[in-house]
Amino acid sequence: MSALIECHNLTKVYGNKTALKNISFEVQTGQPIALVGPNGAGKSTLFGILAGYMSATSGETSILGYNVGSPELIGRIGVLPQDSLFDPNLTIMQQLSFFARLQGFGRSASEQEATRVLQLMQLVDIAKEKVTALSHGMKKRVAIAQALMGKPDLVLLDEPTAGLDPENARNIRQQVIALAGETTFVISSHNLAELERMCGQVLHLDEGELKTQKIIGQQAEQQSAAYLTLRLQANNTAIGSAIKQLKAVSEVIAKQNDEFMIRYDHGENSILDQQLLQLLSQQGIPYRQLTHGQSLEDQLFMNQR
Amino acid sequence: MQSLSKSILWPTWLIAQQELQASFASKRGLFVSITFILIWTLLLFYPIRYSAEALHNPDTSSLMLSALGMIGLEPLKNWQLAEFAIYWIVALFLFPASSLLMATDQMISERNRGGLRFLTLRCSRGQIFFGRFIGHLLIQTCLIVITLAITYLLLLLNGSPLWLEGLQIMPLLLLNLVLVICPFIALMSLLSVVMNSVRMASLMAVIILLLGGLIVNFSASYLPFLSLLNYWIPGAQIAQMAQLNPTAALFTLWNPAMQTLGFLVLGYGLFKRQAI
Repeated sequence: MSALIECHNLTKVYGNKTALKNISFEVQTGQPIALVGPNGAGKSTLFGILAGYMSATSGETSILGYNVGSPELIGRIGVLPQDSLFDPNLTIMQQLSFFARLQGFGRSASEQEATRVLQLMQLVDIAKEKVTALSHGMKKRVAIAQALMGKPDLVLLDEPTAGLDPENARNIRQQVIALAGETTFVISSHNLAELERMCGQVLHLDEGELKTQKIIGQQAEQQSAAYLTLRLQANNTAIGSAIKQLKAVSEVIAKQNDEFMIRYDHGENSILDQQLLQLLSQQGIPYRQLTHGQSLEDQLFMNQR
Repeated sequence: MQSLSKSILWPTWLIAQQELQASFASKRGLFVSITFILIWTLLLFYPIRYSAEALHNPDTSSLMLSALGMIGLEPLKNWQLAEFAIYWIVALFLFPASSLLMATDQMISERNRGGLRFLTLRCSRGQIFFGRFIGHLLIQTCLIVITLAITYLLLLLNGSPLWLEGLQIMPLLLLNLVLVICPFIALMSLLSVVMNSVRMASLMAVIILLLGGLIVNFSASYLPFLSLLNYWIPGAQIAQMAQLNPTAALFTLWNPAMQTLGFLVLGYGLFKRQAI
């Protein structure tokens, strides 16, 4: 079975700027995939090439075994493009049902499909509105709804929750998790905590290069070094030295005055978390959160120090 | 129907149909179309009607014919149907102009706001490009049919006994006019791909049509083979067609057919590679 996405030596040059430098990777169908990186890292360019909006300067890209742009991929990829707007002269229902008809739905089935995806985004009430009557967040949710039409095999979401209120952002996360069994999502976002909750794999782009491709949390399972992340209710830097005295702890990094990343040998001390809680209890220090492993942010950036 | 929906032609037809709906089923489109039809109705019921009556009237027909002769349209005297003769001249010049105006924004605004990105996931770029062209061609065809019907009504109102001849000439006029406007719409399809704003596309079309001939003729005075470029200026054959009856005019239509094909092939080739 072919990979979901295969990129070989992908390069994209705009004038004097190289947006993507010889990128190669392969991802399989399954859990959502996070695409992270700073502004200008090449994330949107990569999405643009995968979606067929632009061609690569060199290299090869295939999705589901077909070259990007092949007629076989029509209707099998859904995309939330960045900064794309709907026709201001037509209603949301008219546009979505038109898209569904292009995907092969019949007249009445197309309206049902449009209603289904609007329901997923909790937007059925605005079906008869024109896009000019909608808020920024609603426009984005309608754009996500169109990406889900026809239950595509692959959905590319470029900054899906940027600019959304927390409740709607949460709804989108829930939908992604709920639909992850039938569709593979590739999500570009700056919100690493959000990606960590949704995704099983991460692609880290920086300055047009693929810095990392990894399974989230894989490091802890494969290596003896494990991590605990401790967040206190109040600032307390002195506790760091006490933690370091615990068995098998090799490093305590104070990320902030109330947050510590603890590196230890799991093989040598598998109950460090319990010992840590005892220590906090003895010293009367209230804590807010204790989590196993590193956050995605720490996995990507702290280890580069 | 099921097999058609799976075929290549179905999305092309849906795209064309959407253009038709935008022109005739939306408030804005309907306003433009009604305005166009009103202008034509005024033209038909006043200048064209009075000109036709003048051609019919023995007292004024010689004056009309000499006036037509002065502008090289003397062959119109051979037309049995004066209403359609005048319509033919007016339509030959007005429909290309309306085609240019109404088909300017086939893709520009949509590309600028990113809307094309929603379409390319669901159909090929060829289906979008040719669907838009066909849609605009159908819009103009509808308008030609409406104006022909009004002209026929005028013929009946004038009490002409040639109502059957009128019915017979209408399909021929329609075919001629549709082929005449094809290269104008195809030129706008091409300019929709290469220009970034509707205003610039309109300006470029005007430059090509008004200054193109002058530039080609000037260049040809130094390099005679460049005069062949005249064949690529839309409407180059219209003045000749105006002097012919619709049957004879059909023989001049290879030129717009060639131009249409050329503009569409070039436009599609560019659109296929364009970043959207």
